[in-house]
Parts: sequence; C-alpha cells; structure tokens
Amino acid sequence: MSAGSLIARKSIRARWGRTLAIAFAITASVSFVVGSFVLADSLRATFDNLFTELNENIDLEVRAAQEFDTDDARDPVPVELVDTVAAVDGVAIVEPGLQRYAQLLDDDGAVIASTGPSLGVSWEGEDGIGGVTLKAGSEPDGAGEIVIDKATADTQGFDVGDRVDFLTDVGTFEAEIVGLVGLGDADSFGGAQLIAMDLATALERLGANGNVDVIDIQLAEGTELTTVQRAIADVLPPRVEVVTGEQVAQETSDDIGEFIGVFGTGLLIFAFITAFVSAFIINNVFQITIGQRLRELALLRAVGASGRQVRRMITLEALGLGVIATLLGIGGGVGVARLLIIAFDAAGAGFPPTSTVLAVRTIVMAAAVGVGITMLSVIVPARKASRIPPVAAMRPEIGFVAMRARRLVGGVVVTLVGLTLFVVGLFVRPGGTTGLIALAGGGALLLFLGVASLSSTVATPVTRVLGWPVEKLLKVPGALARQNVARAPRRTSSSASALMIGVALVSSAAVFASSLRASLVSTLETAISADYIVTDASFQGLSPTVAGTLTELPELAAVTPVRGIAGQVDASSKNFGAVDPAAFDELVNADTRAGSIADLGLDEVALQQDPASDLDASVGSTVDVTFQNGVQRTLTVAAIYAEATFGNWLISLDTLETVSEAPARDFFVIAKLADGVDAATGDIAVREAMEPFPQANVQTNAEFRDEQEGQINQLLVIISMLLGFAILIAILGISITLALGVFERTREIGLLRAVGMNRRQTRRSVRWEAVIVSFFGALIGIVVGTFLGVILTVAVPDDVISELAFNPTIVVAILIGAVVAGLVAALYPSYKASNMNVLDAIATE
Amino acid sequence: MDLPEPTGPATAAPTATATSVAAAGAVDASKLYGIGDAQVRALDGVTVAFETARFSAIMGPSGSGKSTLLHCLAGLDTLTSGATYIGDTYLASLDDKALTELRRTKVGFIFQAFNLIPTLTAEENIRLPMMLGGESGDQEWIDHVVHTVGLGDRLRHRPSELSGGQQQRVAVARALASRPQIIFADEPTGNLDSVTGSEILSFMRSAVDDFGQTIVMVTHDPVAASYAHRVIFVGDGQITGEMSDPTTDQVIDHLKQWD
Repeated sequence: MSAGSLIARKSIRARWGRTLAIAFAITASVSFVVGSFVLADSLRATFDNLFTELNENIDLEVRAAQEFDTDDARDPVPVELVDTVAAVDGVAIVEPGLQRYAQLLDDDGAVIASTGPSLGVSWEGEDGIGGVTLKAGSEPDGAGEIVIDKATADTQGFDVGDRVDFLTDVGTFEAEIVGLVGLGDADSFGGAQLIAMDLATALERLGANGNVDVIDIQLAEGTELTTVQRAIADVLPPRVEVVTGEQVAQETSDDIGEFIGVFGTGLLIFAFITAFVSAFIINNVFQITIGQRLRELALLRAVGASGRQVRRMITLEALGLGVIATLLGIGGGVGVARLLIIAFDAAGAGFPPTSTVLAVRTIVMAAAVGVGITMLSVIVPARKASRIPPVAAMRPEIGFVAMRARRLVGGVVVTLVGLTLFVVGLFVRPGGTTGLIALAGGGALLLFLGVASLSSTVATPVTRVLGWPVEKLLKVPGALARQNVARAPRRTSSSASALMIGVALVSSAAVFASSLRASLVSTLETAISADYIVTDASFQGLSPTVAGTLTELPELAAVTPVRGIAGQVDASSKNFGAVDPAAFDELVNADTRAGSIADLGLDEVALQQDPASDLDASVGSTVDVTFQNGVQRTLTVAAIYAEATFGNWLISLDTLETVSEAPARDFFVIAKLADGVDAATGDIAVREAMEPFPQANVQTNAEFRDEQEGQINQLLVIISMLLGFAILIAILGISITLALGVFERTREIGLLRAVGMNRRQTRRSVRWEAVIVSFFGALIGIVVGTFLGVILTVAVPDDVISELAFNPTIVVAILIGAVVAGLVAALYPSYKASNMNVLDAIATE
Repeated sequence: MDLPEPTGPATAAPTATATSVAAAGAVDASKLYGIGDAQVRALDGVTVAFETARFSAIMGPSGSGKSTLLHCLAGLDTLTSGATYIGDTYLASLDDKALTELRRTKVGFIFQAFNLIPTLTAEENIRLPMMLGGESGDQEWIDHVVHTVGLGDRLRHRPSELSGGQQQRVAVARALASRPQIIFADEPTGNLDSVTGSEILSFMRSAVDDFGQTIVMVTHDPVAASYAHRVIFVGDGQITGEMSDPTTDQVIDHLKQWD
C-alpha cells in the first residue's frame, strides 16, 4: 500500500467527527438527488405499468382524430359506430368507452370527496378488455343499478345492496350498488372514484348526447392487426381514426411522464442547490483541517514526501469520503423516495404497487454529485497543502503565509461574470428555456461564489458592528465572541457563505412572490369587475349546467363561463378562450384598443395586442385557424385588447359550439350582481343555486383574491421547505467550523478558564460567536437575494408581474431564524468548550 | 544531478582533517529575514563542514542562528546568499522535486517535538520515508532498527499513546531506517527530562559509533553537546569557535567566555 492511501485512510478514521460531518453533508445531497430521480422514475414506471395493464387486452381503439398534439379532450364519436366497427371482419369484441363526471353523494346530499378524479363510466362487462374485475356482487343491469370501485366502498362503508345518490352533469340520480370492482388485482383505480352503469344508462345519465369517447376493440384469434386496422379505417367517417392499444398506452404514459418529469426536475434543482451548499461546507472543513494539520503535512514534506504526494494524499482522503458518502446517499435516496411514495399512498393517492426504480443514470448522477462535489471542494485546499514548505514543521507561521491566497480580485471578477451571465440569461434569453436556466442558474452560482469570496473582506468590519451590541450586553464573553469572529475573516465568511446562499434563494423567492402577489391583486382590482368567481374543485372542469343555472338567477346581471380549445395559427399552437362576449365585456375590463369584444360574433376573434402585432393584424383582418379536431375556420378580427389575464385569443361560445363536439367543460364561471341587489342577498342566492354542484367552488372577488394570495404564499413555503435541506447543511457547517475553531483554541480557552472565566461564560462566548456568524451570513444573503429577486422580477413580462413588492415580514423572520440557527449550531461546540479539562487544555501544544 | 566535487569548501573547512570526508557543509552562507528596519541577519557568512560518521553539535544561545543554519544545511530553508551542500550536491541547484528526493533518500530529521504523524502507529512512522518512496527498504536493517528502539508491542500504538521519550526514540529510529547520508537533529532532547534525554543521546551516539551514521545536532544544552564528537559554537550568525570531544564542563566554560 502506498503511503498516501495509508495516511488518507488513517486520517479519515482518526478524525471521526469531521469525517461524519462531511459525510453527512455529501450523503444528504446525494440522497436528495437520488431521491428525486428514484421518485420520478418509480412513479413513471408505475404509471407505465398501469396504462400498459389497462390497455393490455385492447388491440385497437377507434377515436376522434386530433390535428396536432394538445392536452384538449378529443371529440367523442357517435355510438352508432360501435355496430359499424363490430361488423368488420376479424373484430371479436367491441367495447364502447364512455367516461364523464359522476360523484357519489352522502346521506345529506353532500358530495363524497375522493383524492383522484370522480368518474362515471359505461360498464364494459366483467373481465372485459378494459381489465376491470368484479370483486363482489354482480354486473349492473338497467337504470337502477350501478357498481362502484371497492376502495371507495371500503373507505366510505358502502356495500352491495346499498342505495346511493350520485351526481352527474345532467342531474342527481339514485341507484342500487350491485357490485364492487377493481382494476386487475387492485381495489382502486389509481385513487379515482368510479361509478359504472350499463351503456344505455350511461348514455342517458352521463349526458353523452348519443356519443361515446372511444371504441375499444379486441381481435379474433389468428387475425392480423394491421389488416384489421386498415379494414376498420376504411369504414370510419372523416376525422375518426383507429390506432393500436399500444400507441394509446404510450401516449397516456407520455402525458403523465411529462408531468412527472417537470416535478422531478423541480426537485432536482433543489437537490443541486443542496449539493452546491454542501460543497461550500466541505471546502471550508478541508481548508480548516489542513490548517490544523499544517505541522503534520510539513513533517511529511520534511521526511521526503513531495508536494504532489501531499496533494494526492488529501485528494485520496476526499475521494474515500466521497465514495463512502455516495454509497450511503444512494441508500438514503432510495429510502426517501420509498417513504414519499408510502406517504403519498397514505394520503390517498392509491398508487398501484410500485417498484423502486434505481436507474443506471441515477447511480451515475449520484456519483457525479457525491464524488464530484467532494473532489471539487478539495482542489484548492489540496493545492494549498502541497505548497506548505517543510520548514513549517518547525515554524508553523511560515506555513500559514504560504497558504494565504488573493481573493479580492478573483472575487470581483467572478461576481461580475456571474452577474452578467444572470442578466443575459434572463433578459436576452439565448437558447430558449434551457439557455435561460443554464445561464441564469450558472450566473447565480458564480455570483454566490464571488460574493462568498468577497465577503471575507467585509467580514471583519461588519461582524465588529454586529458584535457591538453583544459585547455591550454580555461584557467579556461578548467581547471574546466578537473578536473571535473578526479575527478569522476568511473562516467567518466561508462558514457564513453556505447560509448566505440558502437565505439569498429564500429572499429572492420572497421578492418574486410578493411582486407576483401585488401584480395579481392589482389585476384583480382593475381588470375584473365580476363579483363572483366560480372555480372547479374536481380538476375535470365545470359542467356547463353550472353556468346555465347561474345565468337564470335574477340576482345576477352578467354571467359567462370560460371554456377553451386549442387551435393552430401559422403552425403554432394557441389556446382560444371561449366566452359569452356581452357578459364578458361587462365583467372584465380588457382595456380594448380597437373594435369591441361585446359584439364578438360567429367566426370572429378578439386578439390581445401582442399576437395582433406579431401577426400584423388589425380589426377586420382575417386569421386562418385549424382546431385540434381538424376543423378549419377563417376568423375575422373583431377587437384588439391589452389585458392578458384571460388569454390572448378570445372567441364566442357560439363559435366554439360550431367547431367542437367535445364535452363542454368550463375552467371557471364569472358573474356580477344585478343593479340594486345587495351582496348579502346575492350571496345567498348564488350559494343556494350552486348547492347541487359540489364541485363548483363559489368565491367572491375578495375570497378569490385571498385564495390566490394564499396559493402564492404556499408556493413560497414549499420553496423554503425545499431549501430547508440546504439551510440545515449550512447550519451544520457553522457548527463544524465552530467546533474546529474551539479545538484550535483549546489552549486559549484553557487559559481563560484558568484565569477565572466560568463554564457559563465560555459557553456564552462560543454561542454568540455562532450567532454573529449566522447573522452575518443571513444579512449578506438578504442583500444578495433581494437584489437577484428584483432582477428576476423585472425580467418577467409585465402581463405576469407588473409591480415590484417586498416582504419585510420575511426579512425579519429570516434574521430571527439566523439567530436561532446560530444558537442551534453552537450547541455542541459550546458544550465542548465549556467542558474542557483546564490543565489538559493548557498543556496542549 | 552530478556536480563537480565541492573542493573549495572541503579545504576551507576549519577542522576537516585529511582523513575525513565532509558529509555536509556551508560556504559563506548568509540568511536575511524581513525587510528594511525589521531586517534580521540570521546567518552572516558562515563557512563550516561536518565530517562523515561523526556526531557533531551546533551550540549557541537563542537567536544565534543555529537553527537557521541547520534548516539551510538540511534543505528545509533557503539561503539569501552563499551555498550549502550534502555530499557532493549543492542544494541551491536543486528544484523542489530534487530536494524532496534528497530529503527522502539522503537526509534524516529529528525535531524537538511533533516528529510523528499522529494518525500513524509508531512502526508506520518509522517506515514512512520508505513508503513515501514506494520502496520497501532494507528489511533486515529496518527490523534491526525497530528492534533497537526497544518499544516492543508499543510499536502498534499511536504517538499520543507513547511517552515523550518513546516518541523521540521512534523519531530517531525513523531517521535511521532509511540509512541516510546524514541526520539533522533540532534540539532532540529539548522537551525531555535529563534521564530520558541522555537515553536518547546515547542511542544517537551509538548509531554513529556502531553504524557509522553521520549526525548533526543543534542544542543549547551543554550536557547534550557532550555526547558529540565535536561542537561548533555559533553567535550572531557567525561561527565563534569549536571544540573536539567536549565534556559538559568544557562546554560550560567555553560558553562562560561570552558572558
């Protein structure tokens, strides 16, 4: 074995505390990274399996064609096609699929909530090709019978033979539960509440207008898929297609995969932030321990180790730590992901049994992060260590001089480059979203590095000021704390920097959120004169009956639903909002620049000014649109407006109806009280009218605003929690630095104790040293973060964020948090300092 | 790196006898610390040579420049002007890599304290220079040296578990283990009581007498100096005198002349 690896190994073992601390930081970061990947991969695999299983027995599916890729629901197909398709040679089983909104009601007529969607479907027959299995009872037959999913029955206490009410788009119905169903072996349909009835009943009670969503097909044995597919395609009307079950499964899991991907990427960003903060801590700890081992390293040089050997030894030590911690981190990450899945499940997500997916890519990333950050963190300390001259074994002061480095110039350059990248990334945006994330993210990282290195120049004066009240208050222990912080500015700034990064990110998120909130409030105040906003609580869109019911209320003057459809203009996809133009004009101050929204007629469109200028369109010009279902229209521009809150493209409900037969679903409905109706009377009328529609969430303008503000606050809380890991590691970093500092000052502390400082004073001095350091870090973090937050907010287009706002409460909370963090960080070091044996401490070399 | 025989210093060396060869030496060596008013002349034109297979001592009061002389002779520190050499190699001509190689293969060190890597066991510390070179060394010799240290099973202990005397024994053994051309010792007994100190000094002297090892030691202790074959006296950065086969009393008498 080489001397380098022997010493590295021994050193890891001999410095357990330090090793554990570094290992913890790496392990936590790696766990976070691995957890994010494993969670996303496992969920993706689960849904892939689910959809594959669902479509397992479906050979072909007949459905409405879509012109381009969109999340919009497909148009339905006429139920008569079922017979047409069944008549094709080679088709063995045909199952029409119909799925609409339906929800069970309890005895009081209140809706029974579920964690997933609430679905009413047509019964496909037991062990049909859809994979549904009957767990108890019998199949539904006729209008009086339904079956429900066993999971809902179990949690709600329903059983075969019970009579229940259920709600659909067209009314409330009563039926007997004659059976309980599940999906394959599972009792649940991925958390959805399911009510199934025979096709005739479903067509009537689910409001299907003689249409079904899809027709699933199983082929007879010995027939060839492509032959039959071609034969079916021949008998289908235009804009209806026949695709393989495999393709359907793939499309569905791709959709879900996309969502999971975004979620996973979000988690990953925070995982990398955590890793970045860990790198700071690790670097700092190595830096300090190399200072402490100065004589040892110089001795090695004196007895014949080359500078390279010393560097290799330190690097090997780091590598060993990195590898061990990475392995622990992979284990930890898998554990975290499993726990989260179990937690989601417990919260009622109703996942089918999930397998844990540990992809090769995950392991590679874990190694890159775990080993990578450790090795990066150790580059500078190892190089410094290699420069320690042998003579430092006898004259340590010479060694410290050799380790000193210039930071001011480098710091300024790195800060400026970082800032430039950040600004360019946000405002110029080369390379789209990827470029934005890479440039702005990379710029922010460089900026943090630069500020961290610059902060050592201000550390002494700033901490002297911060320490002043501490000294006044606590006399000698306070003065010691203040001096100890100020005398090692490099160390103070690097241990504070980790916290600085966490705090900076929270602060910039706070500025962003406050500005978003302020902009939202002002939009709601100026742009929307509606008194009520009815939103959808079921995630499926509101039944048009909701808007219909409200329109008939005499207490309301103007009511419009907001519906949507995707259409292509010049081969790029746009979202068209469909509204009742006259009512919309009364309810929304769209800041019309030309024409009139109120008069928006059939085959006319109102355009927001930005797309209008992009298309060089004015009132009277025409726009060719191809909608998702293939319908083509030439729309005439009837109005141009400025307010973008309700989207950039508006058409009338009448136009939408002529374009699409897809089940109408409203995003929300807005309404205004009639003249002379007071709020109290209106409230009662509206809420009474909405009682049969539990999925309709009625809110006044003020309530809606509060809820939106609440959601923004919630977002801020979630971001802060995700940054919590990084902040926790930062606090740990302060603690390690402090403990190492206490260890270094063993003799000094012993001396102070010998001349009469008591344990309490010793503890106090260490404790307040930590508080000053963390307060310093938080202060710089707030300054840097607020600055970044302002740039970020300004970079966002005005129609999303128009105002800049700050949140002083959060700043105060962060500062208080910093004091608490300091106290927590000092727990161990202060205990260590106060419990030294005075005589041993003085005798320490 | 082959350099011409340093003939100058060999002949210029004050007491180099015809039969002995210089193992190391300095020629007109000067060393300045600091700049301006704060400048200190630690060495002021020192020329000296140390014979092979002899135990030499360098004596002088604090700040006399004796430690600086040792550090420069050993290649741990660099001169402002002049030259030092070990065997036939001038140190000033060596780069860091060659100096490192020289320290590992031709020079041994014993310091006053902190001689050992705290995380390694006593035995590992002794074998360290060979391990750094990636060689296993002369196993028989190393075993012999390890045995001579007389630590028994304490060889597997870490330095912190050994007494000061035991630690210095390990340090001497480490210096001997690679059979260096020369060993430099910087106040090796400075931290020890007189009994333990004399044990270490006898151990060093026997290494010279029995194995032909060359040792140069810096000390301010007349008793320690009396173990040497020859003492060089240093004051204010210059050689002020020397003595062969000194006794403690002779050294004390010599030192008194200065007061």
